Amino acid sequence: MKLHYALTAALVSAVLTSPAYAADEDYTIVDEPLELTIQMNHARYPVYKEDWPVEQEARKLTNIHLQDVTIGANMRTDENSGRTEALNLMLAGGKIPDIVGSSRLKDFVNQYGPEGAFLPLNDLIEEHAPNLKKYFDERPEIQAAISAADGNMYYIPYLPDGKYGRAYFIRYDWLDALGLEVPQTVDEFEAALRAFKTQDPNGNGEADEVPYFARQWPELIRLVTLWDGRSSGSDTYHDFYVDNGEIKHPYAGEGYREGIKNLARWYEEGLIDAEIFTRGSSSREFLLSENLGGATHDWFASTSGYNRLSSEIEGFEFKALAPPASISGKRIEEHRRIPIKPDGWAIGGTNKHPIETIKYFDFWFTEKGRRLANFGAEGIQYDMIDGEPIFKDSVLNSDEPVNAQLWAVGSQLQARGFFQDYNYEKQWSNEFALEGIALYDEGDYLIDQFLGVAFNADEQRVYDRYWGSIRDYMLERQQSWVLGNGDVVADWDDYMAQLEKLGLSDVLEVMNSAYKRQYGQ
Amino acid sequence: MTAKSVGNAANNTASGTPDGTVEYAAPALTLGDKLSRAVDHFRNEWQLYVMLAPAVIWCIVFLYKPMYGLQIAFKDYSIFRGVAASPWIGLEHFETLFGNDQFIRAVFNTIKISALNLLFGFPAPIILALMFNEVLHAGYKRFAQTIVYLPHFISTVIIAGIVITAFSPTAGIVNTILGWFGADSIYFLTKPEWFRPIFVGTGIWQEAGFGSIVFLAAIAGVNPSLYESAVVDGASRWQMMWKITIPSILPTIIIMLIIRIGNIMEVSFELIILLYQPATYSTADVVNTFVYRQGLQSGQYDMAAAAGLFNAAVAFVLVVAANSLSRRYSRTSLW
Amino acid sequence: MTGVRLEGIVKAYGRIQVVHGIDLNVEEKEFVVLVGPSGCGKSTTLRMIAGLEEITDGTLHIHERLCNRVAPKDRDVAMVFQNYALYPHLNVADNIAFGLRIRKTPKAEIAKSVSDVAEILGLTEYLDRRPADLSGGQRQRVAMGRAIVRHPKVFLFDEPLSNLDAKLRTQMRAEIKRLHKRLDVTSVYVTHDQVEAMTLADRIVVMNKGIIEQIGTPMDLFMNPANTFVASFIGSPPMNQMPATITRSPDGYRALIDQVSVPLHNSLSVSEGQDVIVGIRPEHFSLKNDGGLPAIPLSLDLVETLGSEALLHATVDNQSVIVKTDTNGDISQLSNVDTVYVPPEKVKIFDAGTGKVIS
Repeated sequence: MKLHYALTAALVSAVLTSPAYAADEDYTIVDEPLELTIQMNHARYPVYKEDWPVEQEARKLTNIHLQDVTIGANMRTDENSGRTEALNLMLAGGKIPDIVGSSRLKDFVNQYGPEGAFLPLNDLIEEHAPNLKKYFDERPEIQAAISAADGNMYYIPYLPDGKYGRAYFIRYDWLDALGLEVPQTVDEFEAALRAFKTQDPNGNGEADEVPYFARQWPELIRLVTLWDGRSSGSDTYHDFYVDNGEIKHPYAGEGYREGIKNLARWYEEGLIDAEIFTRGSSSREFLLSENLGGATHDWFASTSGYNRLSSEIEGFEFKALAPPASISGKRIEEHRRIPIKPDGWAIGGTNKHPIETIKYFDFWFTEKGRRLANFGAEGIQYDMIDGEPIFKDSVLNSDEPVNAQLWAVGSQLQARGFFQDYNYEKQWSNEFALEGIALYDEGDYLIDQFLGVAFNADEQRVYDRYWGSIRDYMLERQQSWVLGNGDVVADWDDYMAQLEKLGLSDVLEVMNSAYKRQYGQ
Repeated sequence: MTAKSVGNAANNTASGTPDGTVEYAAPALTLGDKLSRAVDHFRNEWQLYVMLAPAVIWCIVFLYKPMYGLQIAFKDYSIFRGVAASPWIGLEHFETLFGNDQFIRAVFNTIKISALNLLFGFPAPIILALMFNEVLHAGYKRFAQTIVYLPHFISTVIIAGIVITAFSPTAGIVNTILGWFGADSIYFLTKPEWFRPIFVGTGIWQEAGFGSIVFLAAIAGVNPSLYESAVVDGASRWQMMWKITIPSILPTIIIMLIIRIGNIMEVSFELIILLYQPATYSTADVVNTFVYRQGLQSGQYDMAAAAGLFNAAVAFVLVVAANSLSRRYSRTSLW
Repeated sequence: MTGVRLEGIVKAYGRIQVVHGIDLNVEEKEFVVLVGPSGCGKSTTLRMIAGLEEITDGTLHIHERLCNRVAPKDRDVAMVFQNYALYPHLNVADNIAFGLRIRKTPKAEIAKSVSDVAEILGLTEYLDRRPADLSGGQRQRVAMGRAIVRHPKVFLFDEPLSNLDAKLRTQMRAEIKRLHKRLDVTSVYVTHDQVEAMTLADRIVVMNKGIIEQIGTPMDLFMNPANTFVASFIGSPPMNQMPATITRSPDGYRALIDQVSVPLHNSLSVSEGQDVIVGIRPEHFSLKNDGGLPAIPLSLDLVETLGSEALLHATVDNQSVIVKTDTNGDISQLSNVDTVYVPPEKVKIFDAGTGKVIS
């Protein structure tokens, strides 16, 4: 296999220009077909399907045949309770399949892997998986991020590609109508929101505009970055963040206090959706299609899609806005695509063929495997044009979203460890999204992410004991302040004292000790 | 006799002694005699045992077997290791819980919400049933009953949606009505002081109608000649309600009350989860939501089991207390 | 002055009429029993008097006051129900006092009335008990106590004894009779049991299918039933009834039952060839021929011995007949009976078509 890899690497340019070579590559792992069992549960594809074209293709190439034995398959997208139910059920059942793929797998394997439920992968990768080894060698921070407290990796993650996730969006046509420039600073942003509220940009004679809204209320808290505060260090809300190599919590910072103070003022003034905490996930659909919503902070692709409303609302233009400069002049976009997800797959502790399995995992990190994982099957979903996989028109122009079509054939599975290729998404992104991404590419707005830590048992105990309560208390106070029940400046000292009493410094201590162990500082 | 007396009513009557007490010296039975009697008994009465079996099996499978798992409340539980192999850690989970101000707050919130539910939610179906009983027009009565039963059949998620919409500060009917009287609109669902009234009120709206069925059934069981007799005696409808209907259904009311008290720690937590916000944790967070947030979401089944055990213990004490009070003062009791 | 006066009382539920116009005068202090099979309208009539049922047509006077539209409580009647209608949650004293409390009678007065009534009914030692702890007879007494305590103008009884066993019924029957003598209040009593009617009533009203068949004193009804219905309803065992044809013989009319002919009293207005029904009470047969009575041959099926009396089940020309006779302590000869005798004046003749008595 090593030889093959060397050969592949040497021939990369040749492969790019003449795909015919790829067919000649030998990806065979075993001579006789080898069957491995797999549990794969994800809200979008509750079980692993052996007739997926991608699986069939992988079979042909590797001679490894995956057999679905998924237990507890469910379609619940509720990320709170649905995420580990199937995994818990599988574990409680006592039989762990050869391969386990799932969303939210990281904490699960890092807890039960050291107990023996899953195999540690480090040595296997070192000896048998050149492509994985190369990937991790180039990105040590990713290896550190997914490792358990014992220093071992227990799963191969789904690794998203592309940088941008959420962005600020604003009604450009309203700005034009009111004679406003595109806001560049927090003050201009505030002025624009106020103008939306008071100057009736939708022209119906009522002050019913909702200047700032959000599908997820923590996106309101995101705005504290405009006052140099932080709301989260990762793509998970309310998460810790890394400040000069030290882990801190955003809700215990001065900038946060300043931000909340101003957000409370905005809320009172009506610049923020009065129902921000209860309107829920349909608010974007409702407020935009009713011509009421002015600005939000949401995903590039899906939010850009609302420009289709221009056919119903004259002049409708809801486009990305570069992050307004904060009071100190910093322009940051706190949210970005995280480079690793807790999703992926792992090798069951009772797997009799760990070497073949890691080789199989490695296959998906070869050029061919990665393309299969990203684009589906050649000739069916895509064609190679000028050395690039290009989706067929039938795929791009289908009524069904491209990603859903790909899930249906077994590619883009987040419950499979693979490295995403942003090119896949770019091909079907809306022009407004691409325009917005270009806008964000002009400035360097993204900031480093906190990729998580793995606790040892003692640290875990401290964290479990204190963190839930601290988090609850933080959120409780946060909402109260925004809603005007209490004043953040007056309450701040008490708030900090209470956090201390609830054990924030203990939690930060274990976070930092785990962080230093894991990321080697 | 003792070996075979279970459920054997026929035997009892057949061997019933005449009046007067006569000492009966039971002949000493050998084990073999006892066994053969038991076999005979089973042969004769096996149908009864077959009928009994489903309930016994149900109890064992769904009530007693899961109790085995309760021990994880005292263990550092790992799903992978299993219940038996997880190490004992004594009362650590309980210490963690009771060392947590939020858990204590959740316990008191549970009790407060339940007490309000009991105070307002318990009489509501009784009052409703009494009111239905006074409606003479059969068609109108059926119509009204159907209307008030309906919310019971709506899923909790929809109920929560209705409540959120109704209490919305911008478009909600409640604030619209308040607006007519010149009041400022209130963002009810983020105000801790409003959470309990809204929650309890929603519960009444949803369940009072359906809950009235049991009381209507009890009222239907009251001997109609009691009312006729009272009419002849000159009682008004109001007097009949107070002096006949309510005392007659009192045993039902008390049984329902005892059952209700047993569920005092079990507030409808789905509805709370759907309605609460961090801003209203101070009044809305109950034991079950606390456990859900801090226990189950992070896979801490052991801690959740400890909280559940505490809940059950409190409920058990309350039920026993309520039952014995009731037995002493009203001659009605569950057991 | 009449106690209760019904004139043309009709009860209909929608289009279904169940009481078809009843006229009845109950004299003050009189004890009148309404008797009839179930569904005859007797209870409905009583309930109309009580005010529990609306009167569809006709007038009701209680003590000369028109009461059709008067509320039950203002009619000054008290009613005793078949199932006692005791309040299970109240003790005996409170049950008795219920009506007085409703009327806001002063407490001292209530206490006195209750203890008086308890005294009369022998309930004094049970005053603290609840109905569930009483025997059937005691409950019945409490029910009566509730009626008595109010000193109403009229007592209404709706089959008050039918939930009791036979022995208690006899006992309570006597008690009711004594009570009535003592209290001397107008009473209307409904029962389906003719024995109760006979023993209790000053006058009996026999009802059937919503009409009154006959009103009269117990002996009147027994001796002179107005029709076959009354004849079969009053008396135990009931009057023997046999279809017959009138024939004429030198010494007067005779009724020919198949082949057996029975001489009739001369005063009867019958005509030859008329189809009639011959009614003879079981008690009116005689086994001995005292003074040239007409003989009726019969074939004996069965002898039922009751002690002082015996019932002979027999057939007369294929018509079954019951003969009641005194045993005088000796039944040895009864199985040999093949002929009975009956005085002509005891033979009742009813029209076969209308069932009315022919006199």
